[in-house]
Amino acid sequence: MKDIARQSMSIKVESMDMLNGQIKMEAHASAIYLAMASWCEQNGFFTSAKFFFKQAEEEREHMMKIFNFLIDTGGSPISPEISNINHDYSSIVDVFESTLEHEVKVTTSIHNIVKKARELGDITTERFLDWFVMEQVEEENTIRDILDMIEVTGTEGVGLQMIDNQVANWIE
Amino acid sequence: MELICQSKYYTFYQAEKERRFYIDFGQKTIPLNLCQLIALRHKVLSISIEDHFDSDLNKHGFEVLLLCNKEHLFVLNTLEILDLKELVQHSFCVMGIAATRQTASV
Ligand SMILES: [Fe+2]
Ligand SMILES: [Fe+2]
Repeated sequence: MKDIARQSMSIKVESMDMLNGQIKMEAHASAIYLAMASWCEQNGFFTSAKFFFKQAEEEREHMMKIFNFLIDTGGSPISPEISNINHDYSSIVDVFESTLEHEVKVTTSIHNIVKKARELGDITTERFLDWFVMEQVEEENTIRDILDMIEVTGTEGVGLQMIDNQVANWIE
Repeated sequence: MELICQSKYYTFYQAEKERRFYIDFGQKTIPLNLCQLIALRHKVLSISIEDHFDSDLNKHGFEVLLLCNKEHLFVLNTLEILDLKELVQHSFCVMGIAATRQTASV
C-alpha cells in the first residue's frame, strides 16, 4: 500500500489539532492586547497603548507563523473564532498583571504541545515549536520587568504617569 | 481501489493512481482528496454526540453533513455519526498520519 496520506502530510493529525488550538490562542491573545490598548488609550496611558498595539501585532504574527507551518506540512489551518474579550481593567497594574497571567498560560500551552509532539514522535512539530518556547521566555521576561518597574516606581502621585512613560523602554 | 477501513455503515478506500480516497456512504460513494478528507474529519469529530441526548440542544438527533465544498450533503443519525467518527479515526491511524486511535478533540 502506498502511503498517499503520509506523502501529502508531514506531521501527525493530532499535532495539527493542537496547533490549530494554538492558532486560536494566539489570535485570542492578539484580541486581548487590542482591548488593553483601547483601555490604555481611554485612560490616558498612551505609551502603554502603543506597547499593546505592538503586542497585538506580534501575536498575530505568531498566529500566522503556525498557520503557514500547517500549510507547509500539508495540514489544514483553521481560521479561529474569537469571543469573550474582556475590556474592563481596574488599573494599569491590573492590565500588566493580566498580561503576565495570560503569557504564562500561553507558555504552558506551548510546552504541552511540545510534550505531546514528543510522545507522538512528531519531531517536525517539536522542532518547529523551539522558536515559540524561546519567544515565550522573552515575552514573560518583558512583562515581569515592567511589573518590577511598576513596583519600584509606585502608583502614588505622578507614579502612574511615570510608569506609562517608562513603558517606552520596552517598545523596540 | 484498495480497502483501508470498514465500519458498520461505511467503507473507506484509497485509490493509488488517482491519489484520492473514496468513502462509500451506502447511498453513494464520494471521492475526496486529502484536504477534503481532513475537512471531513474536522467536521465529524467536532460534532457533539452528547447534544443528541439533550432534546434542547439537538431536537431530532440528526446531523447535516456538508462535504467537499458543498458538493455532497448527508443527513445522519446518532448511530451513523458515531460509526463515522470511528471510521475516520481508524482510517487516519491506518494511513499513518494519526498516532493514536483516540484523537484529541478538534
Ligand atoms: Fe504569542
Ligand atoms: Fe505573547
